[in-house]
Amino acid sequence: MHLDPFALHRPTSVDETVRLAGSLAGRFDYLAGGTDLLPNYKMHLNLRPNLIALEDVGELRGHGAGRFGAMERLAELDDDPAIRAEYPVLADAVGEVATPLVRASGTVGGNLLVETRCFFFNQSYFWRESLGFCLKADGDRCHVVPQKEKCYATFSGDLAPALMALDAEVEVAGPAGRSRRPLEALYDAAGDGIRRVHLAPGELLVAVHVPAASRGLHGRYKKLRVRPSYDFPELGVAVAGRWDGDRVASLRLAVGGVEPHPRRFDALTEPLVGSALSDDRLRALADEVMRQLRPVHNTFLLPDYRKRMIGVYVRRAVDEARRGSAS
Amino acid sequence: MNATAPPPSARLLGGRIPYVEGPLKVTGRAEYTDDIQRPGMLVGRVLRAPWPHARLVALDVSRARALPGVYAVLTGEKYPTPFGVLPITHDETAIAVGKSRYIGDIIAAVAAQDERTAEAALALIRAEVEPLPEYSDPRMGVQPVAEPIHARGLNGSNIQKEVLQHFGDVDAAFAGAAHTARVRGTFAGVTHAFTEPLVTIAESTPDGRLTVWSATQVPHYLHRALAEVLGIPMHRIRVVKPEVGGGFGGKSDPLPHEIVCAALAIETGRPVKVLFDREDVFYTNHGRHPTQNDVKIALDRDGNIVAYDIEALIDGGAWSSFGTVTTYYNGVLSMGPYRVPNFRYKGRRVYTTKPPSGAMRAHGGTNLRYSIELALDILAEETGVDPFDLRLRNALPPNSVTVNQFRITSTSFRECLEAVRAKSGWAEKFRRLPYGRGIGLGCGFYISGSNSPIHFTPKMPQSTVHLKVDMDGGIAVHSMQADIGQGSNTLLAAIVAEVVGVDLERVHVQRVDSDVSPIDLGSYSSRVTFMMGNAAKAAAESLLVPLLEAAAQLLGTTPDRVAVGHERYYRRDAPEQGVTFLEALHGAMETRGALTASGNYRSPSMGGSFKGARAGTAPAYSFAAYVAELAVDVETGEYKVEKIWAAFDCGRALNRLAVEGQIQGSIHMGLGQVMGESMNYRGARLFNPSLLEYKIPMPQQMPDVEILLVGKDDPEGPFGAKEAGEGPLIATLPAVGNALYDAIGVRFTELPITPDRVLRGLDLRAKEGRPWKGH
Amino acid sequence: MSEAGLLRMRLNGHPVVAPCEPARILLDLLRDDLHLTGTKRGCDLGTCGCCTVLVDGRPTLSCLTLARLADGHDVTTIEGISPPQGLSPVQRAFVESGATQCGFCTPGFIVTATALLRDHPHPSRAEIERAIAGNLCRCTGYTKIVEAIATAAKDGA
Ligand SMILES: Cc1cc2nc3c(=O)[nH]c(=O)nc-3n(C[C@H](O)[C@H](O)[C@H](O)COP(=O)(O)OP(=O)(O)OC[C@H]3O[C@@H](n4cnc5c(N)ncnc54)[C@H](O)[C@@H]3O)c2cc1C
Ligand code: SF4
Ligand code: FES
Ligand code: FES
Repeated sequence: MHLDPFALHRPTSVDETVRLAGSLAGRFDYLAGGTDLLPNYKMHLNLRPNLIALEDVGELRGHGAGRFGAMERLAELDDDPAIRAEYPVLADAVGEVATPLVRASGTVGGNLLVETRCFFFNQSYFWRESLGFCLKADGDRCHVVPQKEKCYATFSGDLAPALMALDAEVEVAGPAGRSRRPLEALYDAAGDGIRRVHLAPGELLVAVHVPAASRGLHGRYKKLRVRPSYDFPELGVAVAGRWDGDRVASLRLAVGGVEPHPRRFDALTEPLVGSALSDDRLRALADEVMRQLRPVHNTFLLPDYRKRMIGVYVRRAVDEARRGSAS
Repeated sequence: MNATAPPPSARLLGGRIPYVEGPLKVTGRAEYTDDIQRPGMLVGRVLRAPWPHARLVALDVSRARALPGVYAVLTGEKYPTPFGVLPITHDETAIAVGKSRYIGDIIAAVAAQDERTAEAALALIRAEVEPLPEYSDPRMGVQPVAEPIHARGLNGSNIQKEVLQHFGDVDAAFAGAAHTARVRGTFAGVTHAFTEPLVTIAESTPDGRLTVWSATQVPHYLHRALAEVLGIPMHRIRVVKPEVGGGFGGKSDPLPHEIVCAALAIETGRPVKVLFDREDVFYTNHGRHPTQNDVKIALDRDGNIVAYDIEALIDGGAWSSFGTVTTYYNGVLSMGPYRVPNFRYKGRRVYTTKPPSGAMRAHGGTNLRYSIELALDILAEETGVDPFDLRLRNALPPNSVTVNQFRITSTSFRECLEAVRAKSGWAEKFRRLPYGRGIGLGCGFYISGSNSPIHFTPKMPQSTVHLKVDMDGGIAVHSMQADIGQGSNTLLAAIVAEVVGVDLERVHVQRVDSDVSPIDLGSYSSRVTFMMGNAAKAAAESLLVPLLEAAAQLLGTTPDRVAVGHERYYRRDAPEQGVTFLEALHGAMETRGALTASGNYRSPSMGGSFKGARAGTAPAYSFAAYVAELAVDVETGEYKVEKIWAAFDCGRALNRLAVEGQIQGSIHMGLGQVMGESMNYRGARLFNPSLLEYKIPMPQQMPDVEILLVGKDDPEGPFGAKEAGEGPLIATLPAVGNALYDAIGVRFTELPITPDRVLRGLDLRAKEGRPWKGH
Repeated sequence: MSEAGLLRMRLNGHPVVAPCEPARILLDLLRDDLHLTGTKRGCDLGTCGCCTVLVDGRPTLSCLTLARLADGHDVTTIEGISPPQGLSPVQRAFVESGATQCGFCTPGFIVTATALLRDHPHPSRAEIERAIAGNLCRCTGYTKIVEAIATAAKDGA
């Protein structure tokens, strides 16, 4: 399978990258590890005539002291025992992404911005053309929820929920300079499977920052998929918290793999802080998260099953995080 | 025998023989078809139909043809001769003629200077079509239909093949039965998913010859089909089989792209390569048929099986492929491993507008077996008998004849059952493990080489092996058997080395090349060890004759008094007196010149004389009894098969390393079909033509496998061997199905058993108010 | 990246200069342009691991890597891992354990296993299974592959 021609740009600094991005506005894609973008390009999904490779932008690399460069490869995190010690929920999530070979090239930034997925979208040009193209690429209607306005493609990155549970911020560089925003604000909660992130044209993800307060939080990421490798999440539940004996000192929960963007459930977890988490309250939390999320039929497992699993996975993730905190 | 020369049988065969081509494979030096470069080679590409079923009114290829860099554009009319693997069901064409029959059917092909040009050319082809009705389900085609997929469908329906068989009196047996059980199974299609994609290179040369290199497991069928469709005699076509990256049945039909590639090479006068994408491979399919079956079993008061009443509705996809055989196998492969005195079968294979199904490892055996073994478990439970005892009571005895006249010679099925029962700790575990944990038994039975060779006129031996010895004692082996990873080259070399008494490294198995390889039917129906093995043994024995004569002369004795040692021939009566292999060889060459030898195998005549009597007849059969132990997460429906005890009767295991590998690989593939693999169709459309969404199990999902090889020597197999390449898959499925029942009290009759289905099963059980192990 | 569209890298220890357009995939360059055919193409989409090579020592799916990004880097293929004579300990273990059947997945596994044992000379069974979970094998059921890697580790590969 070959790629259609494009121009390849290799800036070496963030400034240069942003300038380049400005001049190519709307006509380029960033290329990080390429493990998401290149399969999509091979399937002729939303091709652009320019690729800006971030490979040589040194500032985007590295991790430490709560900072994770956008171009840091997942394998670097996977191999670092400090991640498991300091951010167990992130270590879980990293280890569950794709396969070791994909993690060897795939990056943090690429994972946060991984293209949303759908059985009708992640198909070859031939396949899509034979059915009739859909909204998300080359077409004007949706095959999952038949209408012409909204795309229901699923956000399928594993790191985002974990980093949300750690209250992470993203550092973005753009024509207007650097800025920081909470990770959940990177995603467009009012958007859909197509309009999914709040990044101005040409804005670049530089790094993710995890606040010091999140270091050492007990956590767990639980991922539903058919096989223990390769498969994208059909559901990903991330939990991070602190327990003071039985009492919840802090608790955050985020879920991915279900809707077009990952979601954080502070409104449900904050009221739980300060008291013990009884089995009933935990079950009520899990049921409410399940109630609020709506999987559609665009992945391998059936949506009613995925929905039901939200309840089980939330309960288990919190429970395992709590037990981890006791040990 | 004496100390310096151990008995030949102790040297190689029966041991663990690493693959002879292993060093080439681990260094990347083994040559597969796509590794071959020919000068000036063009890229061949096919255009696929985007419609499930359509009449091709007009195809305009003029713009494609005019594109610079395009050397040829082909449509169906140029080579309309139908072909197919079975001589009686030729219904495929290289490129669709008149109409296309599934999403992915080939409707045109191009040869161009490179991939981009080829694809650009395909995009310029304009098709005018008239849509025809989609028949995505076999049930839609059992009655006469408006627009039959093929004219040859039965009475205007889409039925490709119907089999009706009745032996004994099934109705009477059921009427008098003490217990009956019925299982209605539904099985998704699965596919081979070999790692090497389909690929062919063809080159037509000015001497009027055509050479075709292809990833095929049956070079001979390809050779025939090329000759028929292209109208070139076989002797002007040379088929070469380089290393093949897995087949499992998926490279045994002659496939359209192979013929397309050759046609493009002829059109252009240049070498052409057609390399398929993974998606193309999924559309080519020929995998295991989506099937619905209905199995009824009757027992008498004593627990003897008195009858089977079986129906199967088989989704054939767009072409016949091996379908006639499939239709028979889905019934007659029930004839072992138990005695069945009355048997009725109605099988129908129906064309659908989907990618064709065909032969896949344990062809016709898995789905039928799953339902039978579940039904037996139900009967054991109902009658309060242990599942092992029920099966032991009904085991086919050795040297018996089945009701449909299969000849059973060796069987160690009883030994298989006894071995797994003891090893698995069955008595302590069955129905005694805690809720969510389970153990289950499943058995298997498979042919060791189809007795009826496809395509053989004049009737000749199914396998021939040629040997040629050089003056330094290197032995070149020629055979058209097709090693696709199962280790047949190694076995061929080892048999020759064993018989002739030489080091394995002297024996060089030659690449399959129809110019020099004597005919063999290739790798399917688990025939290679048995048939090629016997032919190799015969060839080596015939080579030994002049060697022993020469040795006898040098030793001053007669050939019958000379024994074969290791690289040495010696006097039986005076073992210290011997000559080396090379001395004997040179002695023989002085009188005869360079040595050659030939050996062959022909299976004995067998089977009844009724219609279809030959289907399923084989010179031997393999037997299996597996126990699986697993744990189910009853909240999520996920489960892990933790251990499989696999007792298998392949007669004598000639290469234990290879046999173990076949069993482990079969279990992996069988688990795939149980746990998650499926050709995921919505209507006629395949939703998962990728290795990401086609769920082959990962290393972490493999159970610990304990292999118990308990087979006794088969009287006709080479050195007592039978097959081990396909049979080992079959028992995996019911062992897991029955273990799931033991764990959670749910009988799963729809495969694959994905976690959502497990939960649905648990829900249903709860609704019925049927507790299991206190839950 | 040179303007002339030339790619310069160290390939199996030797400097190589090759014409290469931006959209060229590393796997295609290796197999089709440089005729290093030991690296296999099983899917082209990151789903089989047959195409694994080392880039600066790191196992990499060459089917998902732009060749141009190897500019200035070290690329090692199965040809570079294989000693000029004989076999590496990992390769020998694969042959002797029966870890290669059809062999099509094998170069990818050898590359992955070689890198694993370089970084973790004594992996547990679970670590081996996890490390090879991006390489697909349809023939062996992985059992003998895991055994071979464990054997190579024991023999101090
Ligand atoms: C077989 C297979 C299985 C997979 N399974 C999983 C899985 O289980 N879970 C999972 O999460 N992912 C999975 N992936 C997807 C992907 O490999 C990972 O998400 C990976 O982390 C993506 O990182 P990358 O650097 O390769 O991204 P790229 O492909 O390089 O980029 C992805 C997207 O992010 C954009 N981007 C990248 N970096 C930046 C930046 N700094 N600023 C702005 N935009 C940027 C790119 O333009 C592109 O749109 C799988 C991929 C494959 C091939
Ligand atoms: S959800 Fe609808 S619009 Fe979005 S990718 Fe799927 S089919 Fe297309
Ligand atoms: S060819 Fe690269 S992963 Fe399959
Ligand atoms: S040996 Fe055939 S795919 Fe692994």
